[in-house]
Amino acid sequence: MVEQKPWRDVIAAQALEKNWVTRVDLGARRLAIYDTPCGVYASLALCNHGGADLCDGYFDGHVIECPLHQGAFDVRDGKPVGAPATRPMRVFEARVKDGMVQIRG
Amino acid sequence: MTQPIVTPLSQALAEGKLTREELKSFMRRSDGPALQKLILWVLVVSATTTLVTIFWDSWLIWPAMFIHGVVLVHHFSLQHECVHYTVFRTRWLNDLVGQICGLILILPHRFFRYEHCDHHTYTQITGEDPELVPLPKSLGAYLLYLSALPYWRSKFTEVARHAMGNLNEVEKRFIPKVAHKDVFWDARMMVGFYTVAFLGMAIIGWWGLIWYWLIPLFLGEPVMRFIRMTEHVGRPTVAQMSENTRTNIVSKPWQFLCWNMNYHAEHHYVSSVPYHALPRLHEKLKDHIHVEEGGYFAAHRKILGQVLARG
Repeated sequence: MVEQKPWRDVIAAQALEKNWVTRVDLGARRLAIYDTPCGVYASLALCNHGGADLCDGYFDGHVIECPLHQGAFDVRDGKPVGAPATRPMRVFEARVKDGMVQIRG
Repeated sequence: MTQPIVTPLSQALAEGKLTREELKSFMRRSDGPALQKLILWVLVVSATTTLVTIFWDSWLIWPAMFIHGVVLVHHFSLQHECVHYTVFRTRWLNDLVGQICGLILILPHRFFRYEHCDHHTYTQITGEDPELVPLPKSLGAYLLYLSALPYWRSKFTEVARHAMGNLNEVEKRFIPKVAHKDVFWDARMMVGFYTVAFLGMAIIGWWGLIWYWLIPLFLGEPVMRFIRMTEHVGRPTVAQMSENTRTNIVSKPWQFLCWNMNYHAEHHYVSSVPYHALPRLHEKLKDHIHVEEGGYFAAHRKILGQVLARG
């Protein structure tokens, strides 16, 4: 059986930008944490098309749009939903526990 | 850490020209403003169409078709906004309206979207920006560009090439492989659409679409070339957005027609901002960008000055 990676605290839930995307640096990783109507989600922050920071993009519901070319991803599963994004973005399991947003992966 | 690429927006935020809260407020989207504007838009198109009808049996049909054409070619501004998904909050509405504009203008929407993305990545960089219009080398070259003949030659060649399932080397650079079929499909749909339109006219013996649509489009396109030149031509061919793009202050009717795209430098700074928020963004950024207060004609006086100085 594969051992699952541990949960790690990334930011206090209260510090999240409400219904928006929040940038978090975690070690060598820059993450985007999304506050959505159906919970908290997390992904790598840089767009896998042009390398722009998704945290400066437009966020609506559960779709994050790259600020450079408006390529878009569904933050729930990383699926590209708008060109020129064509590859899924890397997402992480995320949850809120004891007032902290945690991610695993 | 892998670093994000530096964009004009990230620079503006880092330099405090724009705060994050302001950015969020400017980017806010809604379907309402564009749907209201579209109603007015259809009324304007109907009015210029009526003008052509009124002067059908007179030589005045030519100026009427020109005015109608100027309105028609401004579907480009709407299509351009749809490319950025900023007209409507509902994403598929942008795709739908963009495709319709593309059919009107003979400009396949998804190809334009990919090409335009590359324009935003490499704005005004010679050899990289696929939409770059170089400063004409002579007065003749300037007038030839404004005639729109090179534009149409390039567009017809492009559509034919894509309909036959081919891309050139530059296009292969900015269109991902998975999207090649989409681009070919759009071009074939365009060819099919116009073939059916012409066959339909031949069958019923009424050639009105040529007078209401195609001739006005060709008469109006030089005006769109005139406007598009003012966006970047004559500005330095460097990466700095504060230098390489020109914002033109124009009158309200032009602003209406071009969906505020005269605020071009602001658009390049933050392309996620909808057209209706660009005037507000202008107030924030106007001291950090190149603004041509005299509008399109002043921009052309400067472009012409540069062209003539070359000779």
